[in-house]
Amino acid sequence: MRSPRPDAREKLEGRTVFGVDLEAPGMLWAALVPSPVAHGRLKSVDLSAARALEGVVAISAADLASLLPGSTGDPDRPVFPSNTVVYRNQPVAAVAAPTLELARAAARAVRVDVEALPTVSDVEEVFPEWPREVPEKSEHIAAHVLAREGDVDEAFRTAETVVRETYRTSSVHQVAIEPHACLADVTEGAWRVRTSTQTPFGTREDVATLLGLPVESVVVDGTWVGGGFGGKGSALLEPYALLLSKASGRPVKLSLRYREEFQLGRTTLPSVVRMETAVSNGRIVARRVRLLLDVGTSLPGRDFTAGYAIAFLLGPYRTPAFEMEGYAVRTNKPPFGAHRAPFAPQCAFVVESHLDHVAREAGLDPVVFRAAHLWKEGDTTPMGQPVGPFGLPTALERARATAARWRADAGPDTGVGVAVGFWSTGTGAGGEARVRLSPGGLEVVQGEREIGSGSVLAGVRAVAARASGLSPQRVTVSYEDTSSAPFDSGVFGSRTTAALGRAVDEAVRALFDDLGRRLGGSGPIRLLEGPGELSVERGAVRATVRELENDSERAGGGIVASGRHYGRSGTIDERKVAAGTFYAYTDFTGAAHAAQVQVDRSTGTVRVLRYSAFQDVGAVIDPATAAAQVEGGVVMGLGTALTEEAMWSEDGRLLNPGLLDYRIPTLGEVPPIAVTFVEGFHGAGPFGAKGLGEPPIIPVAAAVALAVRDATGAHVTELPLSAERVARALKVL
Amino acid sequence: MTRPLPLTVNGRPHSLEDVPDSERLLDTVRWRLGLKGTKEGCRSGDCGACTVLVDGASTLSCLTLTHEVEGSSLTTIEGMSEDPVGRDVQEAFGRAGALQCGYCTPGFVLALVGLLRERGRSASVDELLSDLGGNLCRCTGYLAIVRAVSLLQKEGP
Amino acid sequence: MSAFALVAPPSVDAAIAELRAGAPGDVVVLAGGTDLLFELDGAKAPRRVVSLRHLPWRTVDWNGPVLTVGSTLPLRSLERDPELGRHHPGLLQAIRAVGSVQLRHRATLGGNLGRAAPASDLIPMLLALDAEVDLVGPGGSRSVPTDRFVLGSRRTVLAAGELIRSVRFPEPRPSVYLWQRVRPANDISQIAVAAAYSLADGRWRLAVGGIPPRAVRVPEAEAALSSPTPSEAEVRQAAELSVRHLSIAPDRRASAEYRRHLVRTLLERAVSGVVADAQGGQR
Repeated sequence: MRSPRPDAREKLEGRTVFGVDLEAPGMLWAALVPSPVAHGRLKSVDLSAARALEGVVAISAADLASLLPGSTGDPDRPVFPSNTVVYRNQPVAAVAAPTLELARAAARAVRVDVEALPTVSDVEEVFPEWPREVPEKSEHIAAHVLAREGDVDEAFRTAETVVRETYRTSSVHQVAIEPHACLADVTEGAWRVRTSTQTPFGTREDVATLLGLPVESVVVDGTWVGGGFGGKGSALLEPYALLLSKASGRPVKLSLRYREEFQLGRTTLPSVVRMETAVSNGRIVARRVRLLLDVGTSLPGRDFTAGYAIAFLLGPYRTPAFEMEGYAVRTNKPPFGAHRAPFAPQCAFVVESHLDHVAREAGLDPVVFRAAHLWKEGDTTPMGQPVGPFGLPTALERARATAARWRADAGPDTGVGVAVGFWSTGTGAGGEARVRLSPGGLEVVQGEREIGSGSVLAGVRAVAARASGLSPQRVTVSYEDTSSAPFDSGVFGSRTTAALGRAVDEAVRALFDDLGRRLGGSGPIRLLEGPGELSVERGAVRATVRELENDSERAGGGIVASGRHYGRSGTIDERKVAAGTFYAYTDFTGAAHAAQVQVDRSTGTVRVLRYSAFQDVGAVIDPATAAAQVEGGVVMGLGTALTEEAMWSEDGRLLNPGLLDYRIPTLGEVPPIAVTFVEGFHGAGPFGAKGLGEPPIIPVAAAVALAVRDATGAHVTELPLSAERVARALKVL
Repeated sequence: MTRPLPLTVNGRPHSLEDVPDSERLLDTVRWRLGLKGTKEGCRSGDCGACTVLVDGASTLSCLTLTHEVEGSSLTTIEGMSEDPVGRDVQEAFGRAGALQCGYCTPGFVLALVGLLRERGRSASVDELLSDLGGNLCRCTGYLAIVRAVSLLQKEGP
Repeated sequence: MSAFALVAPPSVDAAIAELRAGAPGDVVVLAGGTDLLFELDGAKAPRRVVSLRHLPWRTVDWNGPVLTVGSTLPLRSLERDPELGRHHPGLLQAIRAVGSVQLRHRATLGGNLGRAAPASDLIPMLLALDAEVDLVGPGGSRSVPTDRFVLGSRRTVLAAGELIRSVRFPEPRPSVYLWQRVRPANDISQIAVAAAYSLADGRWRLAVGGIPPRAVRVPEAEAALSSPTPSEAEVRQAAELSVRHLSIAPDRRASAEYRRHLVRTLLERAVSGVVADAQGGQR
């Protein structure tokens, strides 16, 4: 049953206040002073000309000691660099002024004296070839991971077919239409910031660490968010705005121009992947994966991306022997950051395209080959996690059936691709929620803002409604800032409905236990609606909520109960680890997609005609928002597949920091997308739900690439599948 | 530069003082008039989030100098609830679930209202969709918006 | 505080006087502003911006076969003219390729021509239609054919104080505009071809855009098409000749090889498109 989203009306009327809309009396506008080079020795930052302008406050590294007495911050992540700049546009100072125009003029007036150093902008500059030995400590390596099982060399030596390929994937940005923005106000030891963030508590933690402040002194009040997609999952602007507020004694507003969104954004960066697979008797006997992942200026020893991402390159497939080795390579770009299902769409593109190619080279049916190795419940992943209930095999069957139907009535120059992906949702990241029952309804009090998907307002509401038996109209979800809300990890990792939802479910259970104690008797407890106030019934006993409330509850708004959910983390089979840290995947969810494309055999232009997504969702909690997540994720995936790439120059400059030159899909490019939910393979979320925010984006580029191959034989090993890359693969040039 | 600038906004006449020559209509609307429903996105004319109507024509307010539209009649999202076509569009979007974060939504509403004014209230769905390439959305994947436009036109005046 | 002064002269003569009064580079002309506004932010802004908003040039005039478009008419108005698709289908296609509807409510033909961007989607079609650019300035009026109006990348023949008053299309022609882009809407073209056939002189016009410094006709290719319905071989040859006679370099997005390939492909398709269109009895 569809219930309209509670935020629709105000958003349609333009009344929603986003970060960029914030203002406060006496507010100053801030601007950041960017480093002019991607790598350099910082000799001086001269603020005098900026400070000479009327009403301007300017700060740089030299001011941190006085602004933050006694605190050390994070020595590896200084708010302002003192010695070295490591990426272009890295903020070296910040200014605030009574108008935005004056602030930007003041920022331009700051003199930054930096001696340029050699820049690394590409992983292949660091590793033109795969290294024969692991290099000694290198400033260019943030992490090295290596895991293996079985005798891979022997397996490759004796196999019937061996296929070796190199793939390249591009940097993609989140491109939420809303830029980052915040408004900071530091008063009397309270460091308060209103900000557009997916993770109010995570941002608070981040800010406290970066500024060296006690966590309790930082208050993060999240605003409505105009799209996050991973890009608003940690502190970015808040430290600067807070420091300027401390320095000036005024509220300070900092928002990014869209160009800066691209230049400063932390996101998926490029990769080079070598894939090798050995096959005998129609079965994989060994695999080797070599990953060079650009992690920008991600910190050595603290980079998690390689260890997290690399196993996605094995895909949801069994293999008797494997070796996977990855280097997180540092280049002069902002650090690698989360995108929707970080790096997983790129991995799915690589593994699906590669195994498809392997099958063809071995004379095997590509889809049957992959299906034969696909995980099912009870399998163990290469790094030792058990695969729980897993709907991917079912989803794949259905995708194949769709593909067969489409092929049967296909036109010229068209092809169909079927691809799968899996995800490890972040449902382990914990959270807490409170519920408050009053005569009028049930309120869920929690610490997340709605970022767009509906997972907070509609999803959490739906969980509370279902758990309590109330209709959604009787349930509201309200937000409180970090000073009073129960802790929650954030809206990321496809965890909101599942993990926060579990906390809400627990809270409702606790509420019902409490109501049961108040009512007495035995048996199941029911909440009764009716035209007026709510009542509670247990067998023959019934009372109104009002009657069950005590005086202080009546005054305080209702009967309160709490719940929490902290998932158990999985374990890694350490016997297989030869170097580095790997991350245990948990709460597996799968997706199988079918794409039909038409290819212009001369220009290489790809048009997607039809798309069908089969999602292993566990249980659908709110059908409207669930379908919306899939449609949105698929279209974002089409961008990754066909048009999105951030391009960097040799001197570390982003060449296309704008929405004309970095192309996301427009309305006219979107095919009809059928969405099917495969339910019943239960996950960790309430009622068996699995996270759905990220899985839909994962198989898209793979499905499109395989469809292009099916249509024309063109085998493209780079993302995005630009028209030129397809034309080259078609050998028309 | 100091001459007062007449502008009718959502039906109400204004006379704006001291508007710098370089001021963009987007900033006038949001900060001088306090109408923040019109959104700042790319500020380069590519996303459509800043779309307003100038004398009924959909316009990128980020690429318009305010003085260039002096004397004209400006409509923003705040004026849509008083406009029967605007209300139809809002209702269709609401029923079709054609929004998620809502940031691009005012731009889409204004763009559609402008198109309906231009092409007529009973313009075909295809014509309308082919004219919406200037509005970017990152959340919905557009299909719910397509459904909203279909809903809107089936249920015409 | 403003980086520049904006003036809006009430008449053509006043506008010309304003332009003459400023040093070159210090004064710029503002029509729709959708390209110009990127230059108005910050330190490199010109000092004076002369708006044409009061000038009486938002006109469309059909006079027999001749179409005269006022230079400050918003492109969308021309696009929505009910006669345009019938007489100049390629021009309609080219206009619809420019930005978005919102952009075209302000962008103008005069502005697009005057800014002379190498990737302009209108200039190739103006070349293929033998459009004449009517100028007015301190020395009076003159007309210049498009290929002599655009000198190079963002360089035109406009003298100090001169303005584009209108653009004149001498005759309706079967015409087709094809482009290659990263995405089909709200984008600029990497390579574009405008093809038109002149019924008056029985010869083809082929123009290629997206190749810096400016869009150009390819007379060698035109000469290879001997009739209104050239053979496939002739069309292929015209495509080959165009690639041979154009200097096509790589850009950030595409190699020279691919760009040459696009010119070949789009040219063949555009010519075939004109033939098919004409045979469809549109004229």
